[in-house]
Amino acid sequence: MTPKEYKYTQEHEWICPESKNKGKVGLTDYAQSQLGDIVFLDLPAPGTQVEQGKKMGELESVKAVSDIFAPVSGQVAEINQTVVDEPGLVNKDSYGAGWLVRLELSKPSELDALTDSDKYDEFVAQLTENESEQAGG
Amino acid sequence: MIEVLKKTALNKVHHELRARMADFAGWQLPIWYTSILEEHRAVRSGAGMFDVSDMGRVWITGRKAGVFLDRVLTRSASRLEAGSSQLCLLCLEDGGILDDLLAYRLATDRYLIVWNAGDIEQKLAWLRHWAGSDPDIVIHDRTADTVMVAVQGPAVCRLQNLKGVCSLPRFGHTRTRIENVEVLAARTGYTGEDGFEIISDGANAAQLWESFMRQGVKPCGLGARDSLRLEAGMLLYGQDMDKSTNPYEVGLRWLVEMDNGDFIGKNALLEIKRQGVKRKLVGFRMTGRGVARSGYKIVRCGQEVGKVTSGGCAPTLGVNIGLGYVPTELANIGADIEIMIRNKPVAAKVVNRQFYKRGAQNDP
Repeated sequence: MTPKEYKYTQEHEWICPESKNKGKVGLTDYAQSQLGDIVFLDLPAPGTQVEQGKKMGELESVKAVSDIFAPVSGQVAEINQTVVDEPGLVNKDSYGAGWLVRLELSKPSELDALTDSDKYDEFVAQLTENESEQAGG
Repeated sequence: MIEVLKKTALNKVHHELRARMADFAGWQLPIWYTSILEEHRAVRSGAGMFDVSDMGRVWITGRKAGVFLDRVLTRSASRLEAGSSQLCLLCLEDGGILDDLLAYRLATDRYLIVWNAGDIEQKLAWLRHWAGSDPDIVIHDRTADTVMVAVQGPAVCRLQNLKGVCSLPRFGHTRTRIENVEVLAARTGYTGEDGFEIISDGANAAQLWESFMRQGVKPCGLGARDSLRLEAGMLLYGQDMDKSTNPYEVGLRWLVEMDNGDFIGKNALLEIKRQGVKRKLVGFRMTGRGVARSGYKIVRCGQEVGKVTSGGCAPTLGVNIGLGYVPTELANIGADIEIMIRNKPVAAKVVNRQFYKRGAQNDP
């Protein structure tokens, strides 16, 4: 389910390295399932400098506002206008058509600090377990 | 001290349906089962059901029950016919709103009130204070041992197990059986659609719920309950109105019957009516990009003029909408206002607050 070639953050963003210094960024399936229906996206304009781990945008689900963090540092090369017009794409296809921005990486070595798909799956499994413990009883 | 969340008689059913649960006014309730938007659309186009057992259910009985309710409510309950119900307000002596509620007349000396989940103890104490020790007024809170399910949507009268109650008029109610479960069914709701609110003993809750599941009624959570009521321009107590607001500001003057004897708050409300109000609760539609949320500032010409009390998207209309207080001079359809969304002013327009109207064109 989680694409193998992507890298993940603990804030539930992913980046798919397309070349040495370019990558597509989006939210994970777990993130969209937790947020529920996404109805609004505020993405950084092309040209904006973003910094790893810092807020780069916002999204609104039906219920709440959440921040979107940059998985790596760099410059916004492109935003996915289709998803801005139809934010529900993040719910429908978070790893595909629901991508958010394309970044030009300023420090490609930052990718090494991110989590691979197996580790991310484990991380989510742990979160889900904690959640069902809280919900039960 | 850790506050223990109250659970409705359907709690186990919600967990079995793998609902996402949340805390609402001290109750653990589903926020959604599959998706808020899907649940919202089910109620607009078919039928959905909600566990609304958090709503307080209090039976008021006795020879003076009607006289008592006329005294504490803004509309006369004793003028209601048995078998009907009406919306009304519980006001403080200064005219502030303590709650909005539905009053049902069950029989000559038997009434039921259904009110919001918040501040239950305080509201019961208020009623008991005015009832005093009169043996002819009996107040019995049965919220804990009963359950209430709202079945809402244009298709409700096509459901086999509701056929028997579809002759009820709006706000009418009757005691009946739904698949062998004894219930009180009322043609009421909080979604802007046709529908019923059904009360039964807690012990029969799962059986009742499952009979609707078998009919294909979609379970819906708090998320859709909120988006549906907002879209229909219905107010949420504790958010759009509270003790610091009066019926004239919130646009509920139609719930105040000045010919209903000497009810609590009447003198203050007469004075408020005479003086006129300085602010009003209005509906607005975002014309710029952004979602308004409760608590955001409303500005005009760079100056704060009020606050958003409810906001979000209107899934049926495809626009973002909200409710908020503005000075009376801005409370006109078409007035331009701005909503401060994360320190940026975003354009909005005052519109009729019944954003969605059943059976109408509903152009955004």
